[in-house]
Amino acid sequence: MAAKEQPIDKYSRELDAEVRHAVHDNSAAGTDKRREILWGDYPAPDALRHVAGQLKQHVVENLDRYLEQAEDSLRKRGVQVHWAADGEAANRAVLDILRARGAKRLVKAKSMVSEETELADYLAKNGVDCLETDLGEFIVQVDGDHPSHIVKPIIHKNRRQIARTFEREGLGDYNDDPEVITRRARVYLRKKYFEADAGLTGANFVVADSGRIVLVTNEGNSRFCLAPTPVHIAMVGIEKLVPRDADLPLMLNLLARSATGQRLTVYTEFISGRRAAEQPDGPEEMHVIFLDNGRSEVLASDCRSILRCIRCGACLNVCPVYRQASGHAYRSVYPGPVGAVLSPLLAGKRFPELADLPKASSLCGACNEVCPVDIPIPDLLLRLRDRAKREGIASPGTPPMGLWASMATSPGLWRAALGAGKAMDLIPKSWIPVGAFQAWHASRDLPPWGGGRFRRWLKRRRAEQAATKEPS
Amino acid sequence: MHLNERPPPASRNVKLMATCLCDAYFDDVAAATVEVLEHLGCTIDFPERQTCCGQPAFNAGDWESSRKVVRHMVEVFEGEDPVVVPSGSCAAMVFHGALLEFEKEPDLGAIQALAHRTWEFSDFIVNGLGVTAWPGRFPAKVAFHRSCHTRGTPSGEASLKLLRSIDGLELTPFGEGEQCCGFGGTFSVTFPNISKGMGELKLEHIAASGAEVLVSGDMGCLMHLGGMAARREQTPRILHLAQLLRDALRAGVAREAPSTAAR
Amino acid sequence: MSGDREKIFQAVREALAPLKERAPRPDYDPGLVSTVKAGEDLRKRFAERWRAVNGVLVDSPAALKAWLLEHGHRRGYCDPVLMEAVGKRLGPEIDVLDTFERARPDDYAFGITRASHAVAETGTVVLEDRTTSARLAALAPWVHVSVFPAGALLPDLQAAAARLGDDPNVIWVTGPSKTADVEGILIEGVHGPGVEVVLLLDDAAFPS
Repeated sequence: MAAKEQPIDKYSRELDAEVRHAVHDNSAAGTDKRREILWGDYPAPDALRHVAGQLKQHVVENLDRYLEQAEDSLRKRGVQVHWAADGEAANRAVLDILRARGAKRLVKAKSMVSEETELADYLAKNGVDCLETDLGEFIVQVDGDHPSHIVKPIIHKNRRQIARTFEREGLGDYNDDPEVITRRARVYLRKKYFEADAGLTGANFVVADSGRIVLVTNEGNSRFCLAPTPVHIAMVGIEKLVPRDADLPLMLNLLARSATGQRLTVYTEFISGRRAAEQPDGPEEMHVIFLDNGRSEVLASDCRSILRCIRCGACLNVCPVYRQASGHAYRSVYPGPVGAVLSPLLAGKRFPELADLPKASSLCGACNEVCPVDIPIPDLLLRLRDRAKREGIASPGTPPMGLWASMATSPGLWRAALGAGKAMDLIPKSWIPVGAFQAWHASRDLPPWGGGRFRRWLKRRRAEQAATKEPS
Repeated sequence: MHLNERPPPASRNVKLMATCLCDAYFDDVAAATVEVLEHLGCTIDFPERQTCCGQPAFNAGDWESSRKVVRHMVEVFEGEDPVVVPSGSCAAMVFHGALLEFEKEPDLGAIQALAHRTWEFSDFIVNGLGVTAWPGRFPAKVAFHRSCHTRGTPSGEASLKLLRSIDGLELTPFGEGEQCCGFGGTFSVTFPNISKGMGELKLEHIAASGAEVLVSGDMGCLMHLGGMAARREQTPRILHLAQLLRDALRAGVAREAPSTAAR
Repeated sequence: MSGDREKIFQAVREALAPLKERAPRPDYDPGLVSTVKAGEDLRKRFAERWRAVNGVLVDSPAALKAWLLEHGHRRGYCDPVLMEAVGKRLGPEIDVLDTFERARPDDYAFGITRASHAVAETGTVVLEDRTTSARLAALAPWVHVSVFPAGALLPDLQAAAARLGDDPNVIWVTGPSKTADVEGILIEGVHGPGVEVVLLLDDAAFPS
């Protein structure tokens, strides 16, 4: 039985109950907040999601044109544009920029692409100190852990665990008051911003026609990464484009509401180049590194609509499987429904290693229902299941369908089986050597077999109806 | 295909797709479907050669096997008459899933034709036949589980419209109502732990609502929830919407009979 | 890495080549997300939304002074341009400096800077790099005070997006810095200001 377990189901089974409850409650609260703020302000918010989805699909299908335009616009603003085909190239590009300035200390705002490229580890190996400054990411980094949610990286940790980490790292005596934890991080990181030689951010959007990157945060760490530091590096996936500034209100509005239930995040930053001439603080140079890292392969697949994703995390919050299993169950940078599609695709040749992720869904469709860019996630999960089957990748516990298909295409055989199924009720359940049956029966009863009864009932009814009609 | 904008059915001659679950386990649900539709003046044709909609293999990722079954279904249900299915997920398999797996197949057109005239039971009654209120009586607190395959379709609202109109019936909302029950077809056996966790949560919310009856339009969800509920101390009575409509009808007739006589 | 550029563009073009047609840009009104009605009182809407994100709103230098004293903030920074209109009116009980020394960021309890606009729809203050006298002064102190004239109020995000222009660093600030990373509990004042104050001046009182 154990060898036949799906990895995500196993992870959920072994997950600490406290963690599961924390993940569930926090996710459910996020889903409620999103619904209140979206439906409270708009009579038909689904119309907004549909337009935003069309807009991003348009960008995805015209990526060649928009990338060229973005590069051109950014350069005109004095931004240095770099290209990285894979994670290693992106990391090397960062290192080259830092070395050219003799930079040894990097402060970093939240960026999912840098998680993809494992930038911090790479820089550490090359003598550069790379410090996460988002509170959650900072805690994850000092714990040697990984984020488990796109927007809420430490949703899997409670305050007591964090307090123990801070005590261990010399950030003060044990104190699990979230306010004290936050103040201590503030004091510690503040010093680091002023000591840093460069700041690294991601980008939530890159506007193709105006050549600016857009960052949304609540904590203010990305602003601090770009205030006392002389160099700004932004690492961006090639799919992050929007056509015009005028498209931003729609996207920002949906992003904040979907991610955290806010009308707008606390800080929305529009950055295009080095600091203004009159400004004493801020970088003297700005670099944008566009990263492919498997995205062009996704673009070539029939799952390209996943590239619309704006990383709001709403699909994680609403997902019943994520709520039971937590983010680490997905064994990749992007967890939850979006991750179940994106991670196996970005894995390229290592697709078989993550081919179980698309299976971890009841296909309930809640993810699509909340997606601000209307990605048909269940359809994409199904396409990947089909792909895995065609590539002959084994899937633990999945009942074989060949025999069933033969029966379901032979009406005579089907009717015979309807009659024979009764035998299942007559023998002890534990005798039935079918994995799927045992998995079912472990937590649920099967109703008594009623094969053929409806067909007989209908015949009797027809006969009775005919009998009552005939005399007249 | 926009289910919200489709024209009414070509006729009241209905082809019943009973679903494999009703064929094997839940004969009374299929029977209730027949009784309810006949009450509405429909004639029911049950093609004897029907088997399954192809969904189990489709969801399991075995599209090749699934397409074989879908082709058989298309052949069995050929014609112009509306096809009615007392299951949200089997209906969605016909008008959504099958289209996805036949995207690049030469016989996509035949699938589309079937998709266009296939209706989920409550959608057919409310939006197909224009029935917006249900006669009869059902005095009970009822929790309605909107099964997931009705997302983005008119079925959830249609079911609620009928339920709200029934004399004596009190709908009880429950927590996390938008969440899946954990069935998901083969998901329930390939991810037994997560499926069970989801089901328990659903049953707890429903129990907390004080509902006496749990109703849904999908026997997949109800087989799973019912199978789990059978091992709990307190369980609601579990009914498919068709059964509830039929029972309401019977109760209404029984109650109205004396007054008719008095008149 | 010019090799990578060619590699990426080639892969993207090859990926898109088989598409018979490409999704068109939806023809939509960017104003469809606006929740501000024509003729709505922008000052009232701003005040309501700014307070909803826990912002503090004062309408005169005297009121600002009273607020700062009440909360024990007696030393801070003020943009030199605002010194006459605001900074000098806070004394003598409050020590107001017109330079922000980055070596001593914690010496300033507050920082007063100009905002170029504000957005009524969301309760948002717009800081532009060219008119923010020092990024750090608007970020490091516990209290940040934005000063702008009533005439700088924009109705909605659409209007604000249309004014992004060529400033290299525009920041929309919607309340104090905050986090809910620890158990979903809201804490204000993470890296940036724990308190955001708006001093909304009549147009005539704002230095030209």
